[in-house]
Amino acid sequence: MGNGQARKETMKTITTSIALGALIFGGAAVAGDSPAPKNAYLYIGWPNNGEVIRKNNFRVWFGLRKMGVAPAGIEKPMTGHHHLIIDAPLPPMDEEIPADKNHIHFGKGQTETRITLPPGTHTLQLLLGDHDHVPHNPPMMSQKITVTVK
Amino acid sequence: MKKYIMVTTMLAALIPGLVIAGDSPAPDNAKVYFIWPKNGATIKGGKFWARFGLRNMGIAPAGTEKKFTGHHHLIIDAELPPFDEEIPSDRNHVHYGKGYSEGRVKLPPGKHTLQLVFADHNHVPHNPPVFSKKITIYVPAN
Repeated sequence: MGNGQARKETMKTITTSIALGALIFGGAAVAGDSPAPKNAYLYIGWPNNGEVIRKNNFRVWFGLRKMGVAPAGIEKPMTGHHHLIIDAPLPPMDEEIPADKNHIHFGKGQTETRITLPPGTHTLQLLLGDHDHVPHNPPMMSQKITVTVK
Repeated sequence: MKKYIMVTTMLAALIPGLVIAGDSPAPDNAKVYFIWPKNGATIKGGKFWARFGLRNMGIAPAGTEKKFTGHHHLIIDAELPPFDEEIPSDRNHVHYGKGYSEGRVKLPPGKHTLQLVFADHNHVPHNPPVFSKKITIYVPAN
């Protein structure tokens, strides 16, 4: 528990530092090239943080406010597509988001999905990527939530 | 109007080429629905974020032509538009051409209907048309 907590705190510090870096250095920030609106907001509609889910296959809703979704490959300002990060920390903010079992891409412009997770505690986080799967500037990420699958 | 829509949708399912709908295909299991508000909701103040659900299709901004994608349209206090035409753009037909999956709605006191229609890059409904149930919400008087 101690290790996980320490890692969480470190991640929090890193994320905050990156955000601060983006704010302070603007153009020189460790982030991609595609701008995101300042008041846009990314969130996981469901499940909620701390949710206990009594089946291992469930739907996840992606919420995005004041910014649009576009499929991967479509370059249009102030748009992006969703990536769901499962049981992993945020990837580097200035690189293409990897595609593997912990980083699921929704390049077709989907706004929800169904996932299957084994019983236990899991973390979920949304990260928006631009047409090249690179996070925006500033990066658009949701709160990282923890759910328990029973 | 309801019968017309039912017959059209049934025809769309049975006779694809003959249907009175647009050119962009949609998967048979595509669905748009309201995540919020729910049918019958009472919303004090009349201001809320309507959240749009989409299943088995993706969002693309208006003007972007990509198979099995489209963008949301919210119909407020009006009937469904014709399925073979560009959806009009006025205070009863709100377009979310920037690819939004939610929108801020402000309604005066009274009873209101809301319905979602998905449409392609040209604002024309898909084939078969993808639209939600029509829901009714209430905004109490101040």
